[in-house]
Amino acid sequence: MDGLISFFASHHAIRAETVMKRGGFSSQLIPGPKELSPNCGVALRFDYARRGDVVELLAAKKVRIDGVHFYRPRTDDWHVRQAECNESR
Amino acid sequence: MIYFDNAATSWPKPAPVCAALTGYFADAGGNPGRSGHRMSIAAARLVEGARETLADFFHAGDPSRIVFTQNATHALNVALYGLLRPGDRVVTTSLEHNSVMRPLRHLESRGVAITVVPCAQDGTFDVQGLRRAIRPDTRLLVTTHASNVVGTLAPVAELGALAREKGVFYLVDAAQTAGAVPIDVQEMRLDLLAFTGHKALLGPTGTGGLYIREGIELTPLMRGGTGSDSAREIQPDFLPDSHESGTLNVAGIAGLAAGVRFVSELGIEALRKHEQALVAQFLAGASDIPGIIVYGPKDAKLQCGVVSFNLAGAVPSEVGLILDQSFEIMARTGLHCAPSAHRTLGTFPEGAVRFSFGWFNTPAEVDMALKALKEISAWAAKGAMVSGGDG
Repeated sequence: MDGLISFFASHHAIRAETVMKRGGFSSQLIPGPKELSPNCGVALRFDYARRGDVVELLAAKKVRIDGVHFYRPRTDDWHVRQAECNESR
Repeated sequence: MIYFDNAATSWPKPAPVCAALTGYFADAGGNPGRSGHRMSIAAARLVEGARETLADFFHAGDPSRIVFTQNATHALNVALYGLLRPGDRVVTTSLEHNSVMRPLRHLESRGVAITVVPCAQDGTFDVQGLRRAIRPDTRLLVTTHASNVVGTLAPVAELGALAREKGVFYLVDAAQTAGAVPIDVQEMRLDLLAFTGHKALLGPTGTGGLYIREGIELTPLMRGGTGSDSAREIQPDFLPDSHESGTLNVAGIAGLAAGVRFVSELGIEALRKHEQALVAQFLAGASDIPGIIVYGPKDAKLQCGVVSFNLAGAVPSEVGLILDQSFEIMARTGLHCAPSAHRTLGTFPEGAVRFSFGWFNTPAEVDMALKALKEISAWAAKGAMVSGGDG
């Protein structure tokens, strides 16, 4: 998942997750990266390629969002890097 | 699972707290103070018993000086909006939580003058600076008892004496300290104490209160039915009714009373020692982690059970995510509702990772967390590919 939606408040993120699940979109709640938005502690990962449909759905369900970003967290590398770190000890 | 977010809310709750919640619904489930029947009376006994337990706990004297609120934020609002008028001057510190700063900034837009005395970059308090900031026309000093970001303890007894000497009211935000650090409102000469029930007092969310010293009158924040003086359509002017309109969170208060009893039985000195030891253990172990930046005076004696840090090469949200998903360690990352505190520490706007310990945390857990941080730090140091930007 290489997209991220930032929000003004965490209950918007929770609502968005529910709406997207019902709409058949996969998503994942993560701590909000402050470098993308200072506003809220929780953000929602999703498939960036589907952003058009996702934005439309959230607007239709009156879910407030702050912004939509292309974002691939470095933490996706975590398991790979962790293995490397372990090997190099 | 390792729960290091007790500064947000304490978890787990002691069994008697959970039992008290269900006990209320089973045995005493009326609305206190409204009806004369046995269930209303049973509920009233619960609430007044809890009020007395809290008055004893804080050495407040008359229990009616304790007003129940839904949390510390609510208590702070009752105090600030109840006391301050346009033209008043207030002195506070640069480590305050938004539950102090947001009401103050709003009151500032209505003509209240606010002076923010900076704390040192390590989060320690500038008592001389506070003394100098208090002018003859200052009305209120408001400070936190302990920072929810860096844990530093304010010298509230010294500040209480200073406030008394200068003839100003002193409001203490005890959100992080009630139940974790001894508080004696009379000995410390506190005029107003805002506390929450769901942190170190080990009660449920939706509980808290404000202690109002005898002789201080606050304009009520809310007005409505109080089950008293019912013939009249104006708000009662006696405590606690004047500040308790509408039905209280009775189930929550039953749970809170059980939490306070649990804390009292353990003894607050034992609790303080326990949290202090965990902080000391963390600080000692952290010095072995390459790339870690720990904020604060790095002295467990000067802090409550809260410690904040960052790892070089990683942003706080990344560290929090890996801690949660890979290690099942729960911590709060970001600005902790205290942007001013992060500005003071130099961590604005990225924020930090915060561990906050409680009674149920153990040295083994701190050990595991230190090992986890070592691994995450190594990962961050190697530098991963970053792809990011706005879509």
